[in-house]
Amino acid sequence: MGDLLREFLSGSVDLLLTVFVIVVPIMVVLELFEGTRPYRRAVRWFSRLVGRWLGLREEAAAPTLVGFLFGLAYAGGVIVRDTERHDLGRRQVFLMSVFLSMVHAIFEDSLIFIALGASIFWIVVYRTLFAALVTLTLGAVATALVRRHRERAPISPRSGRRRGER
Amino acid sequence: MGPRADSPASPVLEAAVLASGETSAEAAALASADPSAGAAAAEGTAPEAAAAEGTRPGPAAASAGRWAEARRDVVRGLKTGLATFWQLARFMVPAYFLALVLERVGAIEALAGAASPVMSLLGLPGEAALPLVIGYILNIYAAVGAMQALSLSASQVTVLAIAILIGHNLLVEGAVLQRAGSNGFAFGVLRAVAGLAAAALANLLMGAF
Repeated sequence: MGDLLREFLSGSVDLLLTVFVIVVPIMVVLELFEGTRPYRRAVRWFSRLVGRWLGLREEAAAPTLVGFLFGLAYAGGVIVRDTERHDLGRRQVFLMSVFLSMVHAIFEDSLIFIALGASIFWIVVYRTLFAALVTLTLGAVATALVRRHRERAPISPRSGRRRGER
Repeated sequence: MGPRADSPASPVLEAAVLASGETSAEAAALASADPSAGAAAAEGTAPEAAAAEGTRPGPAAASAGRWAEARRDVVRGLKTGLATFWQLARFMVPAYFLALVLERVGAIEALAGAASPVMSLLGLPGEAALPLVIGYILNIYAAVGAMQALSLSASQVTVLAIAILIGHNLLVEGAVLQRAGSNGFAFGVLRAVAGLAAAALANLLMGAF
């Protein structure tokens, strides 16, 4: 029991010190960087990138960026708000949710593992690329499913269109 | 909103939204959508406006304004850093203790035996399933605490980190996704599976290069 406690205490102090020494300074540096011109440029660049690669509309890029940087708790509210305000549609919400469910709070979440010695490339770059790939794949699958569903839907006698068609 | 410290507060959020073509009024409305963020936004925007005015009179005032701004940034960074640190401490330390006790009792050994076929696909020992499961149910902080009780190599830490970073806190974040109009349960399954797949692929790629 005594050596369990000793291991627990020294391990806890070790862990907390490592995290403290890495997380707090980086948070300060990030805070200084935010609001500068290069930061704004990076933000704009990212919105254009997700727009082009994930098939997100410009109005959907903003909530995606918020989630990517600050986490799902923020993004959830923003997604709900922008869905209503810009009439984003189910496809956009789906794509955002897939991407953000896998990558969010990019600084905060990744930092903790970087403090433990994980490689930045794998947990940030690789993970983001993987999430983008999954988003594209599931987006394509959803498109195919919706199309098949529409082809099978009965033709409405009133409008002469299939159900679900615009 | 859950036990997470999603608090790197709203001035940043506002900058992000501004840059993506929204007005600041909208950004403020957005920030106040989250009650805990609203106060922080108000606190953040007022001094910023003052600093912007301060830059007008002359170069001396401009540099003074910049220094004040920098000092405020440092204070804010320290605050978010310490808040994150507190969240970490709150979850990591108990989870670490739990993992150590489970190890003494022999429970991890039993779990490791059952999980080792899956974990070996990721190049991880069976007992690495414990932080993974703790991460799924609780959050990444608790998972990190449980990881501390294991001895893993640097590349094993990276592979396990990928799996945990993609799938974690599934109950709370599932509820958030549900509120945003998606099926929270389906997304939980997606994240667990995608996390394991991403980790297995990373393990293969790391071995290849």
